[in-house]
Amino acid sequence: MVNITVDGRHLSVDENSTILEACTANGIKIPTLCYLKQLNEIGSCRICMVEIEGEKSLFASCRTKVREGMVITTASNKIVSYRKHMLELILSNHKVDCLNCTMNGVCKLQQLCNEYEVKGTSIQGSRRHIEDKLPILDSNPYLSYDPSKCIHCYRCISACNKAAVNGTLRSGRSGLFRTIEAPFGEDWKSTGCESCGNCAEACPTGALSEKRKRKYRSWEVKKVLTTCPHCATGCQYYLIVKDNKIVDTEAYDGPSNHGLLCVKGRSGSFDFVHSPDRITTPLIKNKEGKFEPATWEEAISYTAKRLMEIKEKYGKESLAGFACSRSANEDVYMVQKMVRTCFGNNNTDNCARVCHSATVAGLAKTLGSGAMTNPIYDITHDVDVILLVGSNPEEAHPVVGMQIRQAVKNGTRLIVVDPRSIGLTKYADIHLKLRPGTNVAFANGMMHVIIKEGLTDGNYIKENTEDYEKIAELVKDYTPEKVGEICHIEPAKIVEAARMYARADKAPIIYCLGVTEHSTGTEGVMSLSNLALLTGKLGRSGCGVNPLRGQNNVQGACDMGALPTDYPGYQKVDNDEVRAKFEKAWGVELNPKPGLKATDVFPAAIKGDIKGLYICGEDPLVTDPDTEHIKKALGSLDFFVIQELFMTKTAECADVILPGVSYAEKEGTFTNTERRVQRIRTAVKLEGDARLDTDIIIDLMNAMGYPQPHLTASQIMDEIASVTPSFAGISFERLDNGESLQWPCKDKQSTGTPIMHVGHPARGKALFYPALYKAASELPDDDYPFFLTTGRILYQYNAAAMTSRSEGLVEIAGEGFIEINYKDAERLGIKNGERIYVESRRGKITATARVGRKVSQGETWMPFHFPDSPVNTLTNAALDDFARIPEYKVCAVNISRMD
Amino acid sequence: MTRRLTQKGNMNDRMDAALNKFRSRMTSYPPGMCPLVMYRTILQMSINQSCGKCIPCRDGLVEAERILKKIIEGDAEIGALDELKKLSEMISETSDCAVGVVAANTVLDSLREFPDEYESHIKNKRCVENVNQTVPCITLCPAHVDVPAYVALINKGDYAGAINIIRDRNPLPTACAMVCEHPCERKCRRSIIDHPINIRGLKKFAVDQITADQVKTPAPNVATGKKIAIVGGGPSGLTAAYFLSLMGHTVEIFDEHEKLGGMLRYGIPEYRLPKARLDEDITAILNAGDITVHTGTKIGRDVTVEELDEKFDAIYLGLGAQLGNRIPGKNSDCENVIPAADFLQAVARGDAPDFKGKTIALIGGGNVAMDAARTAVRLGADSVNVFTRKRDDYTALDTEIESAMQEGIRFTTLLSFLHLEADKDNPGKISAVWLQPEIVGEYDWSGFVKTEHSVTKYPYRFKCDYLIIGVGQRCDVEVFDKAGIPTERGRILADTACMIEGKEKFFSGGDCVTGPSTAINAIAAGQVAAHNIDEFLGYHHKIECEAKAPSPMPNKCIPTGRAEIEERPAYERKNDFVHVEEQMTPEEADRESGRCLRCDYYGCGCMEGGRAPW
Repeated sequence: MVNITVDGRHLSVDENSTILEACTANGIKIPTLCYLKQLNEIGSCRICMVEIEGEKSLFASCRTKVREGMVITTASNKIVSYRKHMLELILSNHKVDCLNCTMNGVCKLQQLCNEYEVKGTSIQGSRRHIEDKLPILDSNPYLSYDPSKCIHCYRCISACNKAAVNGTLRSGRSGLFRTIEAPFGEDWKSTGCESCGNCAEACPTGALSEKRKRKYRSWEVKKVLTTCPHCATGCQYYLIVKDNKIVDTEAYDGPSNHGLLCVKGRSGSFDFVHSPDRITTPLIKNKEGKFEPATWEEAISYTAKRLMEIKEKYGKESLAGFACSRSANEDVYMVQKMVRTCFGNNNTDNCARVCHSATVAGLAKTLGSGAMTNPIYDITHDVDVILLVGSNPEEAHPVVGMQIRQAVKNGTRLIVVDPRSIGLTKYADIHLKLRPGTNVAFANGMMHVIIKEGLTDGNYIKENTEDYEKIAELVKDYTPEKVGEICHIEPAKIVEAARMYARADKAPIIYCLGVTEHSTGTEGVMSLSNLALLTGKLGRSGCGVNPLRGQNNVQGACDMGALPTDYPGYQKVDNDEVRAKFEKAWGVELNPKPGLKATDVFPAAIKGDIKGLYICGEDPLVTDPDTEHIKKALGSLDFFVIQELFMTKTAECADVILPGVSYAEKEGTFTNTERRVQRIRTAVKLEGDARLDTDIIIDLMNAMGYPQPHLTASQIMDEIASVTPSFAGISFERLDNGESLQWPCKDKQSTGTPIMHVGHPARGKALFYPALYKAASELPDDDYPFFLTTGRILYQYNAAAMTSRSEGLVEIAGEGFIEINYKDAERLGIKNGERIYVESRRGKITATARVGRKVSQGETWMPFHFPDSPVNTLTNAALDDFARIPEYKVCAVNISRMD
Repeated sequence: MTRRLTQKGNMNDRMDAALNKFRSRMTSYPPGMCPLVMYRTILQMSINQSCGKCIPCRDGLVEAERILKKIIEGDAEIGALDELKKLSEMISETSDCAVGVVAANTVLDSLREFPDEYESHIKNKRCVENVNQTVPCITLCPAHVDVPAYVALINKGDYAGAINIIRDRNPLPTACAMVCEHPCERKCRRSIIDHPINIRGLKKFAVDQITADQVKTPAPNVATGKKIAIVGGGPSGLTAAYFLSLMGHTVEIFDEHEKLGGMLRYGIPEYRLPKARLDEDITAILNAGDITVHTGTKIGRDVTVEELDEKFDAIYLGLGAQLGNRIPGKNSDCENVIPAADFLQAVARGDAPDFKGKTIALIGGGNVAMDAARTAVRLGADSVNVFTRKRDDYTALDTEIESAMQEGIRFTTLLSFLHLEADKDNPGKISAVWLQPEIVGEYDWSGFVKTEHSVTKYPYRFKCDYLIIGVGQRCDVEVFDKAGIPTERGRILADTACMIEGKEKFFSGGDCVTGPSTAINAIAAGQVAAHNIDEFLGYHHKIECEAKAPSPMPNKCIPTGRAEIEERPAYERKNDFVHVEEQMTPEEADRESGRCLRCDYYGCGCMEGGRAPW
């Protein structure tokens, strides 16, 4: 701490702070314009200048550090007159067109001019009528740049280069002055711009803006703070609502996103809410197979009747009900409660089954808790090495990707383990471009080197783990040479990666579906856990085993007990004590038998064991592997009811459709990948008969004979807290008071658990699980000579039910494609951009060829979002032994020209 | 991502090539230009250099430039000055880096340095009087010698003509050929293309071809009957005598030394200006007209000021500055502590002290100090050690310092004088000089770096046999002061017309007015004084000059090297007092003189005002 005097006040402030930070922390307001905390502290506008005693010059307080004894004046006559002068100089080159400007009312320049009574200027700027030379750039579907309003504060450039670290918004020079080269011109598609709009968010004027801002003015709207419904990063933003319609979003400085958003969150998270094809009334399929509108009473009683009839006729094990990992915690809780209390079984699951069930199973087994160990901020700031395995966060978790790019830019080493040359490989110290499906071999190879070279953390192993000997024995065989052969990578690179990871003090493992979505997914996860244990990188800052959970509430859906083996909070259904607790809480006898996993439900349906199915908001016909198999399963059911927003492929197969509401129309919570429970809030109330999902479920429960009182989302969370020790301290009240809580949060005093396994692993002693490498279940052969891996792209999400309803996203990326190595393409005569056939043992589809070097020879890659290339027609439903997760990441295909 | 080395010939490299030319363009910025226009250029350059980040630099300078342009073009009201000042102060105090701060400070400098020019632009919508572009070499020569004319004559092979052209303004062509500091070369337009013409070198070539005493001086005017006394037979007095005698006046020169020449004889060492060569100039001067010389005659001792006043119609005081300054403090009058001027004079008189095998310390870095140092080497000193407080103290010509270094003189800077240590064994002598290590600090108002005592280095004792003090000279003005001639700190107070307020018959110029300076400044003073004495006596006498500048040929402006005059090898020259400079060859002189751009004809030189009437 140092002592300074500001406007006569004596302050003791942090010695590393700037004058601006010190003043702000002490409630002394210094006006700013170009300043963006930690991003744009360049002192361009000089508005924040202050006088320092003994200095002739004035100093930009945003970039001047405090010193012991400094005597500072923040608003003398001279400062005020200089600030006015600065504003006049800025105005001299600014097209003053406030009436037509999107930023009217919120423009920082306008606000400052008002505050300082600057009404205009006689100064003749050098860049007047610049728009004649440098035209407005607005070919990008979302973003537009108008040079005539630009004040060249470089906030957008810093946002792009230092925060989003996209590096596509650069400055140029036009003779005497610096220009902003915004990538929104006619060539926008080839610029590499991710359209994330963080630049627009940063712009203090109307120069660089989201085009949709033209449709409203700041005083016409209300702002509703909520959580993004796409990936599990859990970005916080406001929905901007005008006349009961969401017209925009605005980033909020949330704990996981730090004011950043990606293109989907900013621009693809509200159009679908108001989509005209929303289902607004309950539908019951008639005898001809056509849907007919029904009243809620009809739909609920009909559904309850059909389900109870099946229970009566085929027994209580014949029903199943899936929650959705994109729904709110409260919805999921009620679904599993309904299944357990009304269906009388544990046949409930959620779509985590097909993405991260391997994580839940694997990490629970080895560490005692199946969740991401450390917060996003903790593993992307001030760490030495990031080991990124089977994860493409730039596209699948863009705001995490941005933070990894920040880390790398600030000196963090990056090891990418991925079959594809994903964007981050550009910055990676080492890229291990392994064959799909060889993760276990890779991890064993790393451990071989670490043990052989004595890079293990012997103390940690001794104090906190068990079965080290087993792993040491197992990996003896996994020499770099052998692993290199399995994985198709240079042995030396494995050695280097192992040394780099093991020797680093702070090194998180970050992984995603590239690890889990295999028939050996759980073993893949456990192998990574082994790696962290071996080097003692668990239970402390900047380390851990960090699955980036896929969907917005995939963590929460599992936490809420939409699992066939677990009640909320991973309390086991076959544990008598636990069950007794829930029987008491819910007032019914509960079934002790673990239920069927979602991926086992479909074969069971075909077999005739499952007769009735309730799904809350999933689209397995598109998202689950081997579409034909799912179609057959759904067709085998006696009764199928779905709660949905849209007429999805799966909904078309249902007997009853119950229209629920979206995240923007309800209160609730999502739990992001870092176990952070965050609020969603009602932004709009739409016309039509769609109802709160919890209300629908509660009505159904009552109709099925369970006396479920009507509860609000907040009351449901209180019930969750009452039965779930790890959620005991969480309530809407606390969250609405601004607390950010990561479970375990064991009581009302607890502030949550940012880092897990501190002190010792949750399991007590962590388990080394020796996993032998096993090849993927379907490998290329003469008939199907190519590997096919599936994955996400930045601009769409999952089955695209939400994102495809944003025109801009479709304009940016709206067509299914397949990545092919250029050598394979050359051999087969396939040209870049050509539509080709892709065929597996299970089906045949078309896709547009993208020829390049991103995938290795003999490998292909496809996104799973696009209805024109329904890739799950091809994928293999081979399941992992532990978690029953399907092998989306490896199947064998053939590709051929269409003529 | 692939990293790359900076490509050779990239934009910055190519710009550097252009910037070098731009630098030359600045070096050769012609005299007689509007300073505000120049400041606007600097300001524009600063605007160009703005990175565009901070508002005051990026947009404020543009506004300042707009105001300055309005002022220059006569479109501004008097309030514009205040507006420009306030804006510049704001920019200076708020810019983020030196680009903006210094640019604004430059504008503030201009307001401080050129208030007259600003006012003239606003009130009269034009520059102050006499701001006209002029021929650089002629303008910058204090005596305004017609350089292009004599360079052209040298090119033609007419060396006598060249000497006559020089003499029309400067009757000491030989001395100047050897020792002139050649300010004429400073802004030579040739710099735009390559390098300045070696004007002094060409002059030397001319007097090496035909000695000055062989070239006939112009015929003097018929006798006017006016008598003029010249006190001091140095360059200033000789020049005044020359012109006054050509005007037909009777001139009597009084000098305390045995021989004429002043500092040219008793200050500048033989190896730089052989006395035989000086005599060529003096012989020519004394033969020009009615000149009587009284050597060994000191005013105040042999003749009184009153006597001069009584006997002569006008008196010119060209006393020079021959008293070497001593350093203050104890032991400074010891016999082995010698002012440089006294030392040089003693050597010139043939009374050189015995320096053989001795260790010599020398404080000072001016031309006189260098002369003393190089003389000491030639006297067989074991080592000659020059100490200065800072690098800026080396005011001697770079070539002098370079030559001194070649001759083995040791230079140490950042040492200031502390005190003198008396020799215990030899009363009246010192045995060592104590020096204080310094570190450099900020610059002072005049642009010279200041120093302060180092706190980490200990004082330094330098053992020596002799200490030479080269820290300036002054004039012996006591007698004149007593006679009512106004003086101040060893200088006579005369104006730029060499007139003395309240003493209308008395004129004065040269080192005794300016303090120690160069020969050509003294010559200019003698010339101005002669002219003004003639005017004072009621005449407007003209001096004939038979030589004429030949018609110029257009110069193709092809970049060509500058022919330098080499010195004899250092290992050889340091052992004797023989003239150090080699001769320029005729082919070198031909090429060198051919480089002249003849600015007297091309450009402004042929226009009214191009050659200002001095």
